[in-house]
Amino acid sequence: MSDSPILELEKVSMAFDGKQVLRDVSLILHHNETYGITGPSGCGKSTLLRVVNDLLSPTSGTVRFQGKDVREWNPQGLRRRVVMVPQEAKMFPGTVRGNLVWGLRVHGMTTEDEQLKAILQEVQLWPIDLDGNAENLSGGQKQRVAIARALLLKPNVLLLDEPTSALDTDSALAVEKTINGLLSDYQMGVLIVTHNKEQAERFTSKVLELENLSEAS
Amino acid sequence: MQLDIFALLQIPEQYTVMLQRYLAAMILLAVLIIITKWQGIGIGNKLIVGTIRGTIQIVLMALILVYIFALSDLIVIFGVLTFMGVFAAYTARSNLERIPGVMRATLPAILVGALSVMAVTIALEIIDWRSGPGEFIIPMGGMVIGNCMVLTSLVIDRMWSNAQKQRSLLETALALGATPMQATELTIRESIRSGLLPNLNRYASLGIVSIPGLMSGMIIGGVNPLEAALYQVIIFIMIFLAGMIAALITSRLFLREMFNERAQLTVTPPEL
Repeated sequence: MSDSPILELEKVSMAFDGKQVLRDVSLILHHNETYGITGPSGCGKSTLLRVVNDLLSPTSGTVRFQGKDVREWNPQGLRRRVVMVPQEAKMFPGTVRGNLVWGLRVHGMTTEDEQLKAILQEVQLWPIDLDGNAENLSGGQKQRVAIARALLLKPNVLLLDEPTSALDTDSALAVEKTINGLLSDYQMGVLIVTHNKEQAERFTSKVLELENLSEAS
Repeated sequence: MQLDIFALLQIPEQYTVMLQRYLAAMILLAVLIIITKWQGIGIGNKLIVGTIRGTIQIVLMALILVYIFALSDLIVIFGVLTFMGVFAAYTARSNLERIPGVMRATLPAILVGALSVMAVTIALEIIDWRSGPGEFIIPMGGMVIGNCMVLTSLVIDRMWSNAQKQRSLLETALALGATPMQATELTIRESIRSGLLPNLNRYASLGIVSIPGLMSGMIIGGVNPLEAALYQVIIFIMIFLAGMIAALITSRLFLREMFNERAQLTVTPPEL
């Protein structure tokens, strides 16, 4: 394991239409580390992940991935390595298989059904009809497909936004176990947003608590 | 009473009957506006402005058509087609006021799509333009340009409204490393397909349900029915090809309005 951080946030601030959402957020994430972000709703937890994923550019401050400012990365190359699973698990029109390989396909990669089966077993979603319509899945199943879809890219940093909000406790624990198990396999760091403090304390090695700036002011 | 007004305005008698018919048709327009208001479709003003503007434009066009049809210089004819293309892009922008950058995406697309197809058609002598260049090229060009305008407007409208309504799906695609093109390919494909659908329906029912204007006009003008019918098929193929080229160009150009250089979505959420 390398000692150099995989991801660094330095005094990251974000404002929308003059309204401050994040102020001077700094954190350092290493390989094989799970970092939790908690805080009340509206405190900018999801915004922070979107900034790290480069879906939003911060108003000020710097995000570095592998020591390099994310603005110096090609956006697609960065997002292939720093993959985000949004809170709302959205399915692309088509089959479960099509959704699982969606990320791989856009990067010109392919996979075998055996690998899909293995990753689905990891997220406790096997057996499943790979040719079934993804839109017919339950909320919890969609969430697990979304996590599996991200893991298939073997990311260096996995950004999870309330990843188990639609899962029951057993499934949530299984997903946490899977992700923890893959940390060293993938040499991965995980940034996880959760409103559940118990989950943050159980699942992560460090926790950053954000405050709601609009309420604070 | 109406006849007195016409007499007062010294409108020649041969036009008064047609003007009366035109005014009577306004009853139909009023019914249409009432229905759109009742159903909350919200295009009443556009229909009124469109009728006034369209009437003025088509009357002016009719007055100068005789000169345009007499044109024989291909450069001048293509100048007229370019003007029509610019006006089509401007019209598309006016109809999609809420969306930024429409003109930047439609103008090059309509010009390239329509003019390239017209140029190839002329170069390959697919249409018999030599006997009256303006008479053939300009009305056909008008049809091709008009369809490019409709299709490009539809593609932009769909791309924009999908980005607003399915924002999270689009961001899911981007978050997995998709390019803006990859993230929107499905929307683009669907919008082109649905934009072509009305013409595809007309194409499929050609001669049975739909008797298109070009063929009817040619037959009325004394052209052999067989020749007129084959011209109609040719014009459909030109419309599809030009529309496809214009739609593909416009969709790629419009991506620049929807995403910034960091491939971040810049489309604003819909106003509630």
